[in-house]
Amino acid sequence: MNNWPLCLRYIDLVLLSILLALVPAVSAGSPYYLRIATLAVVYMGWTVGFNLIFGHTKQLFLCLGALAGSAAYVTVVLIQHFQLSPWITVPLGVSAATALGAIFSYVSVLRGLGVIFLGVVTLAFSLIFQNLILGLRQLTNGETGLVTRGLGFSLLDHPVAAYYLFFGVLALTLVVYCSVMDSRMGFAFRALSDDELTAELSGIDVTACKIIAATLGSAIIGLFGALYGFYNGIISPSVFSLVNVDIPVLISLLLGGMRTRLGPIIGAALFAVIEEFVRPFGQLDVLVYGVLLIVLFVAFREGLLPMLRQALGLIPQLAIFPTVRETDDRYKKRTLM
Amino acid sequence: MTATLFDGIVQGLQLSLLAVGITLIFGLGGVLNLAHGQFAVIGGVAAKLLLDLGAHPVLAGVGGVVTAGLFGVLVDRSLLLPVYRCRGEDRLLLGLILTLGLSFVIDGYLNYAFSEFSLTFSLPIPSVKIAGIPMRTAGLANSLVAIVVFLVLFAFLRSTLLGKTVRSIIENEVGAELCGIDPARTRMIIVGLAAMMAGLAGITQGLFSSLGTEMGPEFTILGLLVAVVGGVRSINGTLVAGVFLGIVNAFASRYIGAYVAYIILLSVAMATILARPGGLLARST
Amino acid sequence: MIVRVDAVHVAYGSASVLHDVSLEASTGEAVAVIGPNGAGKTTLLRAMIGMIQPTRGRISYDGKDCNGLRAFEIARLGMVYVPAEKELFPGMTVFENLELGSYRNVRNTSERLSYVFDLFPRLEERRQQLAGTLSGGEQQMVAIGRALMGCPKVLLLDEPSTGLAPKVVEELYRQLAKLKTTGLTLIVTEQQVQLVLSLTDRAYVLEQGLIRLSGKSADVLRNPGIKAAYLGVA
Repeated sequence: MNNWPLCLRYIDLVLLSILLALVPAVSAGSPYYLRIATLAVVYMGWTVGFNLIFGHTKQLFLCLGALAGSAAYVTVVLIQHFQLSPWITVPLGVSAATALGAIFSYVSVLRGLGVIFLGVVTLAFSLIFQNLILGLRQLTNGETGLVTRGLGFSLLDHPVAAYYLFFGVLALTLVVYCSVMDSRMGFAFRALSDDELTAELSGIDVTACKIIAATLGSAIIGLFGALYGFYNGIISPSVFSLVNVDIPVLISLLLGGMRTRLGPIIGAALFAVIEEFVRPFGQLDVLVYGVLLIVLFVAFREGLLPMLRQALGLIPQLAIFPTVRETDDRYKKRTLM
Repeated sequence: MTATLFDGIVQGLQLSLLAVGITLIFGLGGVLNLAHGQFAVIGGVAAKLLLDLGAHPVLAGVGGVVTAGLFGVLVDRSLLLPVYRCRGEDRLLLGLILTLGLSFVIDGYLNYAFSEFSLTFSLPIPSVKIAGIPMRTAGLANSLVAIVVFLVLFAFLRSTLLGKTVRSIIENEVGAELCGIDPARTRMIIVGLAAMMAGLAGITQGLFSSLGTEMGPEFTILGLLVAVVGGVRSINGTLVAGVFLGIVNAFASRYIGAYVAYIILLSVAMATILARPGGLLARST
Repeated sequence: MIVRVDAVHVAYGSASVLHDVSLEASTGEAVAVIGPNGAGKTTLLRAMIGMIQPTRGRISYDGKDCNGLRAFEIARLGMVYVPAEKELFPGMTVFENLELGSYRNVRNTSERLSYVFDLFPRLEERRQQLAGTLSGGEQQMVAIGRALMGCPKVLLLDEPSTGLAPKVVEELYRQLAKLKTTGLTLIVTEQQVQLVLSLTDRAYVLEQGLIRLSGKSADVLRNPGIKAAYLGVA
């Protein structure tokens, strides 16, 4: 399969891209549905980033909202207070998020922190972020937030153009993701997620892999965060809270399947649909998400996609949702990850 | 300054009471209970409901604690069953996610059903002077409750057979099983006790200021931080960590400011975890 | 027959670890299971105690079928396992470790304790010491002592001589010989073939998951194949 032309190897992504590109045409009349679709694309981007951090290298970052928000706030505040162009501030914002992610990964790998410690430390950081924004009221306008309409790239002010911008960024992200996963680094990731100790003993630099994955993932999350900040018209602490970012991304990744390349996309799309169905529940939406998390994790350990693939087992990999080359199933332990 | 110190100790004991349940559940079951704050809220809500029904405050308090405990047992025997079937890191991850989901379910429901809820008790004497420093009786009462609970807990763990069984499972679950100990049954009892302590912390929060249904996540995170800083399997560590962080918070609040104090608290907690991942009282880092 | 293992298979995924293994021991007998590293001796004991579920075959103890029972249930019935890793409670004292051993019959604790201290006087000296700070030999004594506290009928010992100095091993086996006289059934796996074969009545030779040989210990010891493989005798 590896000798096939590029187009056919990534046929799943190509097909999906075509589908996604057609969305504005389908939702022509309704700005509401276009907005939902755009939001879904943002979730997709965030989930791809999280897939790298958690799916592939098992680093439980519970600070996704804080990472996205850091990028957004740095970007917007720099524009507001220094009148800089978004072309300068967006990279700065993304660098901030990237640096944060890299630091967390570096320190935790250095100290040998396990899953819970990293989770708790990043959770603490999420809170620090929220309180920092609230506390630095002069710069950030606290809870009310900052209006971003007109501040960013003008493209983002037009619904259809904005959608295609995000679509383009997502496509770019996927290209980067696929290149990484098809390279030696990707091979290292797969070895790592199967059995870290064995990977280390085989000469794979587990430390470097984890830090690189976290850095790349954080950059992706930051980029979508900064752009989303402009698109949303307003940024505030609640826009980037745990409930509004971390939970959707977690559910999306679980729904779609960790460590697969279509997983984040399909998962996020599904989540956007679920979000719409949950809307009439109003305040009970959190409850529904809770039930969803529980049911998902108990029933579909690895995610919907791998589950489907197992169910359709005999069909050769090409036909349905081909993923990154998986290690021989015989050696796959029946574990959660 | 001594007033701030006392204040810190009072707050710290509250934190320790909240956190010790997390330490117990993690030590015994390898599950980091992200719904622990919600157990506290359930205790408070149950107490308030009983109060509204005309029960005597002490009875309402006991009722709240027992309700929280029963709820904990229910969760252990249902939701946590698939978690206990896994081992090691799998169990950890599954436990984290399932308790996270549970916390949403409880939060979502309570915020919806009791949106105007607030639990406040008031004591007949608002404040008392200790060593020339005026202290709120509520704070003193809470500290007394926390101290008594910890003393009873220590005595229980050190001297009773069940207590030693608990310690043995924390030390080595396999070894305990080989002695004929049923870890599941002991776990159920301890999860119930841990939930009761959380419920108690929720009720004492109502005594100290007020308890709202939305406070669940905040309790959970504070409890988690204290538990992890103290060394997530060490009960002594939890006590020390709680008081330590309580004092840090009190001083930061008093001399700097509310928002920043919280940030300082979180940063100190983070720094301590990174500097001593084994816990404050760990023998080696 | 107080213990009977019938045609037991254990596999991890598609890798077969024990293949059609059968073993039996009668009350008061001492049986050895010898074989090289990786033969499956530990797996066999773990299957007997319920830590691993066999894919095929039956294990019965005292007439009861043990398949599907959990380790603590089997321990409560009277078949106790002392693993090679000992699995003590390092932060608890020797006394507490032993005390927990009599979990299943709390009433007899003090008399069982004096019995164990009689057998291992060194432990009495160290009763308040934390188990994690003991030497290897002392830890082994605590492990066996803890197992004895529950008045077991069958004791499964996994390579008790591992990591112990020769003198300590000698002393240990002297105590094991004393135990044998009390009517306790012993099943001992070992790599130190000479020692265990002089203690036990019968022996099984386990290699690569299969029983290659079984019979009276004395006969096994004399077997030329065994002598060559395990005793370095040409």
